[in-house]
Amino acid sequence: MKRESMQTVRQFVSMRLVMMLILAISVGGSMTSCQSQKKLAKKKAAQELAERTAQAKTDLLAIINDQGQMTLEEKEFKLNSIKRMNLEDQEVKDLIVQAEEKISAERAALERKKEEERLAREREAKDKGQYSSITNSLNAVAGARDVNAANIAIREALLQFAGEDAPVLILISQEGETKDYDEPTTIRKYLEYLKDQKKVSARIINAEYDSNGKIKLLELQN
Amino acid sequence: MTKFKILLAIVSLFIGYNQLSAQETISPSRKQAIDSLALEKVRDLSKYISIVGNKDTPWSEANRVIERTLELFADGAMMGVSSINREEVNYYGVREYLERLMALNYDKVNIEWYNIQYISDLERQPDGRYVGVITIYQRFEGTTEEGLRYVDVTKKDITVYVERKSTQVAGRIIGFWDVLLGDIRVSETKPG
Repeated sequence: MKRESMQTVRQFVSMRLVMMLILAISVGGSMTSCQSQKKLAKKKAAQELAERTAQAKTDLLAIINDQGQMTLEEKEFKLNSIKRMNLEDQEVKDLIVQAEEKISAERAALERKKEEERLAREREAKDKGQYSSITNSLNAVAGARDVNAANIAIREALLQFAGEDAPVLILISQEGETKDYDEPTTIRKYLEYLKDQKKVSARIINAEYDSNGKIKLLELQN
Repeated sequence: MTKFKILLAIVSLFIGYNQLSAQETISPSRKQAIDSLALEKVRDLSKYISIVGNKDTPWSEANRVIERTLELFADGAMMGVSSINREEVNYYGVREYLERLMALNYDKVNIEWYNIQYISDLERQPDGRYVGVITIYQRFEGTTEEGLRYVDVTKKDITVYVERKSTQVAGRIIGFWDVLLGDIRVSETKPG
C-alpha cells in the first residue's frame, strides 16, 4: 500500500515536471515569436516611412520645378498633405520651405494679376461709359457702308469737337514717364483716316474739353 | 582760370556723352512699338493705293487720298513700276505714280498688298534716325471694258525712316516718332 502511494506521488511529481517543462517551452516560444513579430513590424514601418519620405520628396520637387502643369490649388493640396505627415527627414523639411516659397510667390503673382485685370476691367468700363459718345462716333465713321455715309458720320462726329483742328494724340508706347506718340494729327484727318482704313484700332484714353463742353484734345492708345 | 575752363569742358563733354548714350538706348518694348508703327504706315499706304486705284472711288475722294498718301513719304521718294510685258522698271515721283494709277485705262482695278514684313530691321544710324526695309507683295489686277484681264504679282522693297521728334500740342511737349517712307523699289515681277 505504501509502495503504491509512493508510486502515485512519483507519477504526480513527474507529470508536474512535464507540465512545467511544456509551459516553460511554450512561454519561451511565444516570447521569441513576439519579438520577431515586433522586429517585422518595425522593419515594415521603417520601410513605409522610407517610401513615404521618398514620395514626399518627389512630390515636393514636382511642386518646386512645376512649369505650369499643376494648378496652384493642386500644389497647395499636395504640400499640405506632406506637411500633415510630420516627416522628420531634413531634406523633406528643406524642400517644404522651398515649396512654400514657390507657392507663396505664385499666389502673390496670381493675386497681382487678378488685381490688374480687375483694374483694367474697371478702367475699360469707365472709359466705355465716359467716352461712349465719341467711341460710337468713331465706330460710325469706320463702319460706314459708303463714302457718303462716312462723310455724314464725320460731320456728326465733328459736332462734339471744338473744331476740325482739335489735336489727336495717339500713344504707341509708355515706359514710366516716357511716352511715345505717333505723329500728332487733327480730328478731321483722324476721322478721314478711319473712313479710309475702315477700322478703329485705338481706344480713347483721355479727352480734354473747352468751356463749351466741346473736345479740344483727344488722346488715344494703340 | 585755365584749369577751371578745362574742367568745365570735361564736365560738358561728359554730360553730352551721357545724353547721347541715353538717346541711343531704347528698350525692346519701345523698339517693338516703333517697328509696329512703321509697319502700320505701310499698311495704311496699301489701303490708300487700293482706294486711289479703285475705279469706283469718286474723283474728289481719290484726290484727297493722294494728298494723304503724300504725307507718308519723304521728299523726293520714288516709286518703281514694272510690268510683265517689259524688262525695265520705271521710277516715278509718288504724286505722278498716284495720278497715273488713278488714270489707268482699265474699267476695274484691284490692288492688294500682302506678306508685309521687315527684310531689314530698323537700325539706328549715326544721325540718330532709324532706317529699315519692309518688303511687300502686290497683286495688281486690271480688267478692261472688253473683259481682258492683266494680272501681275510684284515684290517691292520699301525703305523706312523713323525719327524721334518733339512738338508742342495744347501746351504740352509731345515726343513722337515720325515715320517716313522712302523709295519703293521693285525686286521681282511675275504673272499673277
